[in-house]
Amino acid sequence: MKTITIDPITRLEGHGKITIFLNEHGDVENAYLQIPELRGFEKFAEGRRAEDMPQITSRICGVCPVAHHFAATKALDAAFHVDPPVPAKKLRELLYCGYVIYDHILHFYFLGGPDFVVGPEAPAAKRNILGVIEKAGVDVAKEVIKHRAYGQKITAILGGKATHPVSGLPGGVSKGLSKDEVKEIKDMIVSCNSFAKFTLNLFNDIVLKNKAYVDLIRSDPYTLKTYNMGLVDKHNKMNFYDGVIRVTDQEGNELEKFDAKDYTNHIAERVEEWSYMKYPYLKSIGWHGLTDGKNSGIYRVGPLGRLNATDGMATPEAEKEYTRMYDTLGGKPVNSTLAFHWARLIELLYATERAKELIEDADITSTHIRNPVGIPGEGIGVVEAARGTLIHHYHLDKNGLVEKANMIVATTNNAGAITMSIRDAAKGVIHKGQVNDGLLNKVEMAFRAYDPCFGCATHTLPGGLPMTVRIYDHEKKIYRTFSQP
Amino acid sequence: MKTIVLGVGNPILQDDGVGLHVIEALRLQIHDPKVTVETATTGGLNLLDMIRGYEKVILIDAVRQNECKTGEVKRFTLSDFHSVHSCNPHDVSLSEALQLARQLGEKHIPSNIILFGITVKCTYEFGEQLSNSVAAAIPTVVNLVLKELNNT
Repeated sequence: MKTITIDPITRLEGHGKITIFLNEHGDVENAYLQIPELRGFEKFAEGRRAEDMPQITSRICGVCPVAHHFAATKALDAAFHVDPPVPAKKLRELLYCGYVIYDHILHFYFLGGPDFVVGPEAPAAKRNILGVIEKAGVDVAKEVIKHRAYGQKITAILGGKATHPVSGLPGGVSKGLSKDEVKEIKDMIVSCNSFAKFTLNLFNDIVLKNKAYVDLIRSDPYTLKTYNMGLVDKHNKMNFYDGVIRVTDQEGNELEKFDAKDYTNHIAERVEEWSYMKYPYLKSIGWHGLTDGKNSGIYRVGPLGRLNATDGMATPEAEKEYTRMYDTLGGKPVNSTLAFHWARLIELLYATERAKELIEDADITSTHIRNPVGIPGEGIGVVEAARGTLIHHYHLDKNGLVEKANMIVATTNNAGAITMSIRDAAKGVIHKGQVNDGLLNKVEMAFRAYDPCFGCATHTLPGGLPMTVRIYDHEKKIYRTFSQP
Repeated sequence: MKTIVLGVGNPILQDDGVGLHVIEALRLQIHDPKVTVETATTGGLNLLDMIRGYEKVILIDAVRQNECKTGEVKRFTLSDFHSVHSCNPHDVSLSEALQLARQLGEKHIPSNIILFGITVKCTYEFGEQLSNSVAAAIPTVVNLVLKELNNT
């Protein structure tokens, strides 16, 4: 058996590794994803002051500090038995929209988009933002940088600090908004809304008008029929910040709906001896291995999982685009992994519309932004990180110190689905031992669609994001090695 | 010369946070109003936001080099790197961010960027403590940074 290892995954510095096993004909037998997870969080959290958790956990991940900040803050609301005032919830959600805006923009233009804008088999050196500039022009790039910065600025104003907010407290937020800040934020949101629509048009022109791309999106190797999960409001519309967790099946019907505090009744984590990763699955369906379909408890989170798990978007422009996506791709649910990119842009549009509603809300300048906390106990908080459902769970002692902590992060929720998507893409593109950079990139595309995040750790010298591909023969001897700068 | 000394790292990933520890020590010793002393737990584009407008940038960061022992200190210029602490998969490295900024015709990009790297082993375990060999390197880095500032 030959083994191909892609290590680390291009454009991801978190030391992810894909290993592909070939059979004696050189076709793909199986493929696995390895992400070294950060260890020891539970122990690290033990004995800490509860109110430090939103700051500490925002350092866990370089990609989603805001999501961790608010999953922790909401867990503390619950643990201290306090319901924040409505204006505080709106301020948190507005901050959250700022985060989704910059994060989704970055994913499309820096990480996922280059495969389409520059081309899936273009040289690796071109499949990045600089290649996008070459193709789409400097003016587009300037807009990308500008609106990414707007998203960051919105979170900085509301969060009290750039990148790592400090505003979330059990029972509310520490900082309100002045009239001047409202004006400044509103102008940025209006601009972001236009930019979201521009980006959807770009996606339409470059991807949807290209039959080869649409065929690729709809092709079997990039199709996975799993359950879908996401937060919904009381009308079953998508929400990033609040709501209940809804799961829908392969036909789009609701399977279950539950409050985050009951997550352990619904989600279990499978441990396999061959992997460090845990594979969450739905308890009501059970674990039946890395397989999709109705009998497998594996589910997807993140933009496509979320949209599939809802009955629609709560804002008009996003709702229109939502309908168009399902009409174009053959109805709901869409099971095409590469449609994550479209779903992400629909969410970007939603975030700008929702942010506009919030900034125009009279409550947003209220000074009633915190309620007093009660007696500490156990608390669970959930938010939709840009890349999927994120849960924090704390037990506090009577002095408000952490006794026990647990997290399920978005990329873990997607672990089973990502592994299968890589395997299916590899089977679809690698035949008779023929591999090259373009084909391997098509395997990575299945992975990138999920926008996975890794722990934030040290980089290597002399730098670069090398992709090393190792092929082993059936005796596990190295047969070929590819590497690229 | 308007200068920023910027320590980069993750405070909860053990040796990865060494750049932040160096800054703690440096804060007590740098009193020049033209020198800003800052920390960051972030990657390329955010770093670019932080260094924009300065003429000289001194970065301090954990680096990993396979052939090195941990706790070694090395001086790099930006051209030695393709990648400077882009811990965020959405992000670009600092050198890519700079290239991007230049391509977009941005002004106020620092021309003089150097990096002091402290070699560490890769860690996937949470913790705030530095290992002994990495902690022992802090005084060396502090002296090198102060010397670099005096030569500016």
